[in-house]
Amino acid sequence: MGYVAAKGGEEAIQQAEKLFHALNGKVTREFVESIRENMPYLVDRVMAEGSVYAPELAALALAQSGGDLYEAVLLLRAYRTTQPRIAYAEPVSQEQLLTVRRISAAFKDIPGGQILGPTLDYSHHILNVGLLDETNVSGEEEMDIAEEPAPRTYPPVTDWQRDQGLMAELPAQDPVEAADIPDVTRDAVAFPGPRAHRLQALARADTGGVLALGYASMRGYGLIHPTVNELRLAYAEVEVKHPVTGAVFSAGRARVSQAEVVTQFGASSGHQFELGFAATMGWNEVKTIAGSMLDMEMNSANAHPAHTEDFVLYHTEPVESSGFCIHFKLPHYVTFASHLDSLRKVIETFYGGPKKQAAPQPEEVKS
Amino acid sequence: MSATQFSQSDYLTILTHAPADPVKLLADELIPALGEIAVLVNRTGLVMLPYTDTAQGTIFHLGEVLVSEAHVRIGGEVEGYALCMGRDLEQSLAIALLDAAITAGIKTDRIMAFVAEQAQLQTEADRELLQKVESTRVEMETF
Repeated sequence: MGYVAAKGGEEAIQQAEKLFHALNGKVTREFVESIRENMPYLVDRVMAEGSVYAPELAALALAQSGGDLYEAVLLLRAYRTTQPRIAYAEPVSQEQLLTVRRISAAFKDIPGGQILGPTLDYSHHILNVGLLDETNVSGEEEMDIAEEPAPRTYPPVTDWQRDQGLMAELPAQDPVEAADIPDVTRDAVAFPGPRAHRLQALARADTGGVLALGYASMRGYGLIHPTVNELRLAYAEVEVKHPVTGAVFSAGRARVSQAEVVTQFGASSGHQFELGFAATMGWNEVKTIAGSMLDMEMNSANAHPAHTEDFVLYHTEPVESSGFCIHFKLPHYVTFASHLDSLRKVIETFYGGPKKQAAPQPEEVKS
Repeated sequence: MSATQFSQSDYLTILTHAPADPVKLLADELIPALGEIAVLVNRTGLVMLPYTDTAQGTIFHLGEVLVSEAHVRIGGEVEGYALCMGRDLEQSLAIALLDAAITAGIKTDRIMAFVAEQAQLQTEADRELLQKVESTRVEMETF
């Protein structure tokens, strides 16, 4: 067999794209706006994995891709490459977050209290089929609003734990310029890498991938039985410096989430609790809880092979993993033709030519 | 509220958090009073958002935020700047013009009155949000 090139098909490709759009309905400005307003958690996920906080564009990516998450993430990542990095914001810390949900599974009486915030965790997980009746609308129920507002910010639970000697003090950190923080989008990635690489990679990792590996740990393949120390959904101010006067101001608010898991190790940790941490743009509790578990697993010297740093970070990268997966459906005619030639030569050389094998009978299959 | 109640940090924060349309209308209203306007920069771009890890105190990059940026000069000497989330170039340009106007002392009372009005609206919106949040406070009990 000679060289087989994949050529042509331009018209078929154009028609295929038209058919895709024809079967997925029209994308209008109103539709995009509706996605942005009514599916914020989906938009959050695309922004986090796309690594760009841009709700309008994430909604557009979802609309344009017919809801194909990996394609939407790819669109956003591709858009990101067209934009210059103008500045670095001031580092965000949890003490500054405008927090709307904050719970702990470790302690019931945490300083500042437990705030359920916006959640369906404790609701009946039942489809509201009545909404399919055009006269019914959700989201119009009146809330009982408290007389006094909740605090804007809360102290970290870890402050109390560190005060009690239950957890090691935070190591002293040298001041660092934001531009000098290790950045997986610009640096060569090597293992073991700086912690900043790990946390950034987790922040932009595929939610499903992080969950799958984290769940494997939870089910027993890992070393840890964790407890959620603190979980927060919040708004972070994006604070930048005025280039002329140096005044710091906020350019707006971004939704963020973060989780800590805590577990007790033995004497190696000085009989103290150890903490795993993950955060991401947008509100995504599953990813941050699973990510914080993986953070702790990756700290372990005896981690399961699927919970080592290089394994976790390489296999939860959404664009690389989905791209590698779907590339297999693209023409591999030359590669496959080579395999075919080899197979035919083996058959000819050692078996005297091809022989058609009889299909196995049902009884044989059963045995 | 008097003009002196808002620092540059405060009024820029309030203006970037305000709805874009009324900010643009105010800037349009003030343009005739600003003299010659030079737009030095008006573009979209990204701001990297660093975040602090609570386990080991590591500062890392959470991700980038899409922003629009504007840098202007009015009257040949006074500069104004704005950067706001999103890709609305007119919004950042309008805020940069207001920043320059305040620095130059042009129509300051008018702008600060607008800022005060927006600050009030934002305070009320935050208070309402936090009142709703407070209604979800839970007292856990163990048995």
